[in-house]
Amino acid sequence: MRYVKWTFFTIIAVLLISFFHYTLPQHDIVRIVGTENRRIDFGENSFFWASPDVGTAAGTNRDIRFINAERPTGKIIVYRNEDTGWGWPPYFKLDSSNLQAESQALISTDKANPTWVSVTHYGWRNEFFTIYPNAVSVKQVAGPDVRIIPWFNILFFIVLAGILIMLWRMWAQFRERTIDPTLESIGDRFDEVDARAEGLWARFKAWLATWTGKPRR
Amino acid sequence: MIGMIRLAVFGFLGMTVMYFLLSIYSRSTQREELEKEWDAEQGPGDRDDFIAAGMAAYEKGLRKKLIWLVYVIPTLAVIAAIYLLNFA
Repeated sequence: MRYVKWTFFTIIAVLLISFFHYTLPQHDIVRIVGTENRRIDFGENSFFWASPDVGTAAGTNRDIRFINAERPTGKIIVYRNEDTGWGWPPYFKLDSSNLQAESQALISTDKANPTWVSVTHYGWRNEFFTIYPNAVSVKQVAGPDVRIIPWFNILFFIVLAGILIMLWRMWAQFRERTIDPTLESIGDRFDEVDARAEGLWARFKAWLATWTGKPRR
Repeated sequence: MIGMIRLAVFGFLGMTVMYFLLSIYSRSTQREELEKEWDAEQGPGDRDDFIAAGMAAYEKGLRKKLIWLVYVIPTLAVIAAIYLLNFA
């Protein structure tokens, strides 16, 4: 039973951590080496793509903007650049075209004199599903070692904890003020019924006893 | 546009649920406070009257009005997010 319990909790924890790791914004410091548009036919990976530009029609495939970049370590990373619009995740990103132009303005192919940018993004790069993180904004930074404090994520988890504590307190209050008194009154009712039944039972036994010829007590 | 309307409708529903839950919670804590206050001092006056008067004051008070922030804060947060992420 203990293994079942821990397996269950582990699965829940992994799901929650993956969810937040995928959805919350992260910052990469990279050098943009190019941008491109490619037509994508969504297959079983369609879950990992966002929505068409706000105001345009949804089809089974569409052109998607990509931003190719290189990390300070020399590893490459490819971002997609899609609107999230009014849907999930709630980034309300409507400016993919503008972001693409900004990225193009920051292209830096001169390795000797690179322009470093901080790309805010969510999502994962995964070669097995052909999925890409979605870039949300780009900003030029001084160098590859700039320290970026994730203020939004800090605030987000504080607010989330606050909401959860609030919900828990609301539940505790409801239990203390509404459920417990109701259960108590039900319990009292049971006791009353029980007592009355016992009285009846005693009288019934006494009546039976009259048949055996014993005198009534 | 349809996406924006859908977000507004579901957001409104969510905020309304939260508003009612918070109203019930806030009223319940207020009543509990009043009960404890009367029980500690055994007065003034009748217990039920004291609580009824306290609840009437609460219904007109600031704390009840603050629950409307449940609608205001998420709406402002969404507007701020749209501005900051697209136009700032």
